[in-house]
Amino acid sequence: MSELTRIITEQDPRVRNLPLDHFCQRAAVHLLLEECSYLEDFRRQSRNLYERVRALFFLSAIHRFHLPFRPGVRLEGRVPYEGYKHLLERRYEEAIRSFLAAQSEQGVCAALSSALAAAYRGLAFQTLADQVRRSVRSVRGNQWMFRTGHPADHPIRIRPELASPDAATGLYPVLREATPVRMDFSHSGWSDIFFLGMDYPEGARVINASINLAVRQGDAPGEPRPPVEAYFRLIDEPVLRLASVDLGCVAEVTSLEGVFDYARDYLGLLKAAAIASGLVPPGMEGSGQALGGLLEQLTGRAGHGLEVVSRVNDIPKGSRLAVSTSLLACLIAVLMRATGQIANLTGHLEERERRLVAARAILGEWLAGSGGGWQDSGGVWPGIKLISGVAAAEDDVEFGVSRGCLLPGHHVFSEEEIPAGTREALQRSLVLVHGGMAQDVGPILEMVTERYLLRSSREWTARQEAIGTLDEIVSALRAGDIRTLGALTHRNFQRPIQTIIPWAENHFTELLIERVKAEFREGFWGFWMLGGMSGGGMGFLFDPAVKSRAQQRLGAIMSGLKRGLESGVPFAMEPVVYDFQINERGSWAELKTGADALLPSGYYTLTVPSLLKQESVRLARARRAELEQFGAACRGRPELAGQIQALFDNLLPQAAQSATDRRQELSRLLDEYGFDRVQHERIRAELRAGRIGLAQNRLPVASSIVDVLPEDVTDTRPELPEQLRQAGLDALAEGAAAVVTLAGGVGSRWTHGAGVVKALNPFARLGGRHRTFLEVHLAKSRRLGRRLGRGLPHVVTTSHLTHGPTERHLRAAGNYGYEGPLRLSPGRMVGLRLVPMVRDLRFAWEEMPQQILDEQKQKVRDSLRAALIHWAETAGEASDYTDNLPEQCLHPVGHWYEIPNLLRNGVLASLLDENPRLRCLMLHNVDTLGADVDPALLGLHLASNAGLTVEVIAREVEDRGGGLARVDGRPRLVEGLAFPYEALEFDLSYYNSNTFWLDIDRLLAVFGLSREDLADAARVTEAVRGMAARMPTYVTLKDVKRRWGRGQEDIFPVAQFEKLWGDMTTLPELECRYIVVSRRRGQQLKEVAQLDPWLRDGSAAYVESLCDWG
Amino acid sequence: MKIRKCVVTVAGPRQRRLPLQTLVSGGGAPRSVLALLLDEACRAGAEEVCLVVSPGDREPYSQVLDDHRGRVHFREQNEPLGYGHAVFQAREFVGGDPFLHMVGDHLYVNRRAGGCASALVSVAEREECAVSAVQPTREGLLGRFGAVGGQPVAGKAGIYRIDTVLEKPTPTEAEQKIVVPGLRAGHYLCFFGMHVLTAGVMEILGDLLRHHPRSSASLSAALAGLAERERYLACELPGRRFDLGARYGLFIAQFALAMSGKDREEVLSQLFEVLALDESGAAAEAEARR
Repeated sequence: MSELTRIITEQDPRVRNLPLDHFCQRAAVHLLLEECSYLEDFRRQSRNLYERVRALFFLSAIHRFHLPFRPGVRLEGRVPYEGYKHLLERRYEEAIRSFLAAQSEQGVCAALSSALAAAYRGLAFQTLADQVRRSVRSVRGNQWMFRTGHPADHPIRIRPELASPDAATGLYPVLREATPVRMDFSHSGWSDIFFLGMDYPEGARVINASINLAVRQGDAPGEPRPPVEAYFRLIDEPVLRLASVDLGCVAEVTSLEGVFDYARDYLGLLKAAAIASGLVPPGMEGSGQALGGLLEQLTGRAGHGLEVVSRVNDIPKGSRLAVSTSLLACLIAVLMRATGQIANLTGHLEERERRLVAARAILGEWLAGSGGGWQDSGGVWPGIKLISGVAAAEDDVEFGVSRGCLLPGHHVFSEEEIPAGTREALQRSLVLVHGGMAQDVGPILEMVTERYLLRSSREWTARQEAIGTLDEIVSALRAGDIRTLGALTHRNFQRPIQTIIPWAENHFTELLIERVKAEFREGFWGFWMLGGMSGGGMGFLFDPAVKSRAQQRLGAIMSGLKRGLESGVPFAMEPVVYDFQINERGSWAELKTGADALLPSGYYTLTVPSLLKQESVRLARARRAELEQFGAACRGRPELAGQIQALFDNLLPQAAQSATDRRQELSRLLDEYGFDRVQHERIRAELRAGRIGLAQNRLPVASSIVDVLPEDVTDTRPELPEQLRQAGLDALAEGAAAVVTLAGGVGSRWTHGAGVVKALNPFARLGGRHRTFLEVHLAKSRRLGRRLGRGLPHVVTTSHLTHGPTERHLRAAGNYGYEGPLRLSPGRMVGLRLVPMVRDLRFAWEEMPQQILDEQKQKVRDSLRAALIHWAETAGEASDYTDNLPEQCLHPVGHWYEIPNLLRNGVLASLLDENPRLRCLMLHNVDTLGADVDPALLGLHLASNAGLTVEVIAREVEDRGGGLARVDGRPRLVEGLAFPYEALEFDLSYYNSNTFWLDIDRLLAVFGLSREDLADAARVTEAVRGMAARMPTYVTLKDVKRRWGRGQEDIFPVAQFEKLWGDMTTLPELECRYIVVSRRRGQQLKEVAQLDPWLRDGSAAYVESLCDWG
Repeated sequence: MKIRKCVVTVAGPRQRRLPLQTLVSGGGAPRSVLALLLDEACRAGAEEVCLVVSPGDREPYSQVLDDHRGRVHFREQNEPLGYGHAVFQAREFVGGDPFLHMVGDHLYVNRRAGGCASALVSVAEREECAVSAVQPTREGLLGRFGAVGGQPVAGKAGIYRIDTVLEKPTPTEAEQKIVVPGLRAGHYLCFFGMHVLTAGVMEILGDLLRHHPRSSASLSAALAGLAERERYLACELPGRRFDLGARYGLFIAQFALAMSGKDREEVLSQLFEVLALDESGAAAEAEARR
């Protein structure tokens, strides 16, 4: 048996928990390959789920982190396009077969290893997700819902207590459920992730409390109450009416398809609850039956329907308190009560029923394409509880498949175990806040799972420490020692949490803790991370003597930090401070009858304006009765005193005014940035006419596009001759080179369209602190400058979106202490985004190859895409995109313009004035962190006499979007948008790193200019315009976030155009050279998900080695 | 253990008139539903029958007893306090003896000789314990019946040891509590409306009614208690049960009786005649329209 399969199958934990890295570090290439072969056979044969998954993660890690870095392993290779297509479409087994066949043919190489690593990883997560899905479906109490496919078979009915209107008022009774949210003291290193709990039940433990919340308004304390509520009632209309008071959305669903269409509106969670509760069983999806028949069966009468209303009480998104899972559980509980699946119509839930609600909430999360951990329904239980993984026993459905059960066990601490005094002391010490960040915690959960299965030794030790810390936390709570509790939660965050996942912390949290520590010193007892990561919901424990002051100060400290960071860090909202209270009764329901049977006041603000526009005779009888009762209540009940005013405000929405203001601001910005309206109208006309568009970005099919020949490139990865390095150093010493960092972009992929300046994003901890992209580039220039004894000129190009924030940031940071000349080169071009053409949306989503998601997530995505196509049609294709903040409506027009801008804005001229010997610019993307002014490469570029030297890297599977090719016999860069068909890209060996060495004089000559001409603005402008006309214009779709409500965000695809610098290689008069550089130098960080492997594979250490932090 | 007594409840507001209806028996003779039920009880060996009726119903029922008049005792349920309460009215009649219990709004048809009750009683006498007749029922119908959970008894096909009894469970509760190994997915053992019970059930009903004097006591709650106290089995019977209170219930029961009796051929030929005439009439109408 192989060493690695023995580790996987061994029962002895001392062997079973051995880290993969220990073996790999000492294994030769042939041994690694032999183990891969064993693991491949083993994972195909093993019937045990977790053995299979662990083998898959081992294979992925060997191919990602070990094989490509071994001496003698080739870097170049061809990833078969067929395998890549399989990968995108989640046919992982086929993809693996294809890549392994290619490996047998081509030999081991980094390109194929990258593809295999991706396929093994994808298959591992798919296997795990499939298992959770099977477990969720097979939980007893859930199974029948998947069998019920016809209304006539629907076995549940609405309870009789809810089925008749009140004789006096005509109102149907309203059932109201209120549920607290959970606040976790510790999750033992995210041990509540389903996969962990099911493989390592003994290590899966969480302690959390159910709490009520109120957001503080200024210094005024709030009245904490259960943060989520759900309402249910019968209505005398044959529809399923869903309403979310906090999201301001109401919809009448009239078909079964509508119930399963999760992303059509903001009511996906309510729909998931209706399905997971069994009201509309999941087995009905695609049945072709009528919703009316189902409602008749449920209510027992024709012409009747149901209404479900949800409300979140002012708690913003990203609270890390599992608000959405709690709301889902709350909705499910109210629906299960209404249908008799829970015995008590009102009051508390029994333990068995809480477990059932939690199981249904997991099902609902899966249906809606989201998902957290098993502690997230904790608010359904009362008080403080310990939740632990449960080993699968013989009569469990998980037995023989996984070591643990899907659902954990809950132990609610009694007052004898944790006295009331301790609970009060906790409330007197803890300040809960929302820092304003609302990040996606999903990637972190994936990282945790992967690291757990690889048993990396540092992380495994940290996990054991976290488990021990949980015991200490329980002891501190039993002893009523809140100060020790603070020390423990703080240590938990600083040590095990950050050892397992460094990304749980961020620059904002780092600074916030520092500030709080500095201000409150001994009075600050500790930081408390809530949920999966910091930055959103967080806790701070204080000496009760200073808590009140701390509560007042924290808001100001957080707001101040946000203002300082928000240009580079995506904040979804203004930070807030909460008041909280432990909820000792869990989810609770009450029945409102007679004149009291009204929905929450916000519901009427939402629905009444449209009802008032209808003729009263058209209103259903119960609706009329309800309006009468609501009117009477507004007159008589003090809590509804402001309702009439609110209704008027809603009848005449103020939003219209703010939209007008926004448009005026946008118009002002366009004028200020020199927006070219004539060009904009031409682009619009061409888009509408179909002359430009995504499909038209492509080169003609008749073009011959093939891989370059070996003689077309120079490989610089082996050590370059010393004389080149020396020539480069000599040139640098005389001031022949400068760096140009392209920083005009907002990193659409990095923040999914949040609109922050990517250059200013403090993306990772390097040299002991969080560093921005810009700081890293300056640190590299500083290192070289210090070595040369003269500052290296460094130019940062900006756009209208990034110039102001970059300038302010550098000023505040004292240019990061950079000693050399540092200049900003402001952009001179701006575009106005357009609502996309439906044709382009369809092309992007239906014709371009793209990653298919997990089955349920894909359904949600398809539904969302249908909604976005509808949006494009109704908003007007190719009309101006103005329904957002003005800055989010503008776009930079591509990095081609950034060099011409240097010419036009005088920056190059002044650089040349100061350094007449300046001959060369190294131009690179802000996210190409490994690019530095390497003297040997400079020497090579100078020796070649080329106008442009282009750096390329050996292509790996994730390198999409262009490359080096011979087009019609001539080497040039081809943008990904321009390939006539996708498969072509996979024939190319090299990917464009977008780092260029420019010879200033040769480049000016191509523009028809000389150094002297730079003083002649008109001539320069003319030259740039002439060159721009020769460059292709690409139409692209970009994601833009639109924020609304309390931390809510929508992402819209918008159309914009751009010109790209790589197309300069198409000019026959510009002599280009192509050099192959190492991956560590040339790779770009485009997505946050790349950060973790970047840190783990040594790339981060490589970048650090290039930096001098000053 | 010998079963000589039978309790039939006909006091439910929905079922009071049904036992008085007249059907044609398998033998071809007109007989009241009640008489047919009593025939079933007699075939199973019952010598005495207690009929639990609503106040004032004794007279009409007396009129349809036919040849069972001598063995029937009447007990009245003075208040409509539920099924369990109705059964409890027979406690003095039952005394300490085991008894067969049937509901008055169901009819049982078994092609084989002996009838359903007879099969049930023979199981109870052989096993010497309480036995309820059950039928695997799909989950969509759970809302109509009491249902049981338990384990098959090894070596005895169709016999189950009952450990849980639920009254009209939701499928959610059924799946969690009364899944029985060997049944098809989504099927549960639901009561057939026929039981052999021990006198212990009267004690449990007495306790339930004492603790909840005004609530509607269900027999299922008492049977759940019985399962905790003594050996209690469920038995799948080969016959079919017909709920006379359902839509077309009487008609379908009559049809089933006819199909299992001596007039089967005659009824079938008449049925075909009706169908054929109906079809040819429809064809003629269509022709006329053309």
